Amino acid sequence: MGKVKIKKKDTRIDMTAMSDVTVLLLTFFMLTSTFLQKEPITVITPPSVAKEPVPDQNLLSVLVSPTGKVFLEVLGSKDSTFKSETVRADLLKNMAGFYNEKHPSNPVNFTKKEVETFSKVGAFGVPFQYMKDWLNIKDVTLRDKVLEGEEPLTTKDGKKVKLAGIPISMNENPSNPNEFQMWVRAAYNSMDSELKHSIDKGKGIAIKADQTTPYSVVNIVMDNLQTIKMNKFSLMTALKAEEE
Amino acid sequence: MAKDLSRQKKFETRIDFTPMVDMNMLLITFFMLCTTMIKSQTLQIMLPTNEEVKDEQKNKVKQSEAVTIIIDGTTIEQKVDGINNAQVSDPNAGMLFYYDGMPPTAQDLLKITNGELENPMKQIAFGSETGGAMPAIREILRERNKEVVAKIADLKKDWKEMKFSSNEEKNDSIYQVKAKAIRNDSTLKRPVVIIKATPSASYAHVVNVLDEMQINNISRYQIDRINTVDSAMMMPLKSKAIEGKK
Repeated sequence: MGKVKIKKKDTRIDMTAMSDVTVLLLTFFMLTSTFLQKEPITVITPPSVAKEPVPDQNLLSVLVSPTGKVFLEVLGSKDSTFKSETVRADLLKNMAGFYNEKHPSNPVNFTKKEVETFSKVGAFGVPFQYMKDWLNIKDVTLRDKVLEGEEPLTTKDGKKVKLAGIPISMNENPSNPNEFQMWVRAAYNSMDSELKHSIDKGKGIAIKADQTTPYSVVNIVMDNLQTIKMNKFSLMTALKAEEE
Repeated sequence: MAKDLSRQKKFETRIDFTPMVDMNMLLITFFMLCTTMIKSQTLQIMLPTNEEVKDEQKNKVKQSEAVTIIIDGTTIEQKVDGINNAQVSDPNAGMLFYYDGMPPTAQDLLKITNGELENPMKQIAFGSETGGAMPAIREILRERNKEVVAKIADLKKDWKEMKFSSNEEKNDSIYQVKAKAIRNDSTLKRPVVIIKATPSASYAHVVNVLDEMQINNISRYQIDRINTVDSAMMMPLKSKAIEGKK
């Protein structure tokens, strides 16, 4: 009887192949990913058969919550002199011009630092008289919470105000625009001619509303746009397979 | 010397990749959770401006071509953006009303509300996402637009067989141009759809109905405001529906 020699097996597994796969997957995700943008409200867009993708540049998107809060977000060009930051800074200056024309008694003027802060925020939507106070909040998470309306905003004279988006109401008089209309006009008149061009073509303004939004709320936004002759725009939808 | 060399410890040349894999997996998880794969789509619409239009500038719609669709919804209370009982529209409930031709005259309207004249308006319930109003309204619109739909179907067959060009892209673009020409062909019988929505109608339903315009190749449609004639016509149908429930 010879001794059965048990071969000692190496228990370690070769991880090289595994590592190869994970690196490949990682590369794939890194290249295809576009990061989720932080938005003050969560919106589930309604499904539609429309196939045209949302442009990722030169876009003014209007976020509409089911309760009627309105927020705006501006995207500039990806690869030209009119980057998002430049367009936003210009937008704020334009808007301040419009606002001060309408309210000459208490004009709002921004410092260089405030303009810089504004050019870095994504979606925004505060009444313009509080814009300065909002931009001066140093804590970024607190600023987001104030925008969402979870925390009150402390104004410079010590008052606490809860914010609810850009002030908007039914208005059919184009010569007396409300704040929302002023913002849209300010974006249209910004020095980014590409944004102006895409608004003219109907691709520059996109309304992003939740599917549970009552029509009366969406109608206010649409009607406001119609009044200032921006009657070509698009609605953001989620993909649905076409039924034959 | 030779002895010393041979005694030198042999290094293990294999590197342990386990920590590397661990780290990669963590990174993958991070990217997977933080990315949006599905890009939103857009539906382009064009509305008229709010300016007053003179009568002679108006495009008169032929009576036989008009179809008016009215979307109605119900509101439910839901917790939205921090408000506990915000009024939102229920995307799974609602009614769709439609009628052909022009709205009735004031005299006819009175007769309709009294029940002396048959109400030209019909109604369908939206129901769940798949069943309910959408297939029904699609049938109705397809019937109204059948000349265009038939021509587009023929064109689509040619497109599938690559008859326009052997190049896929070229084939596609020729198809698009031809389809557009058919949709706007004034010699065919095409409906004009007027879409209206009540304040409580859900936005999802409005988009759904706009979708039907694309599906049925309807080129002439508009979003309009609801008026008193429409609500007066809806009244008898709504009250009947409430009675039926009892």
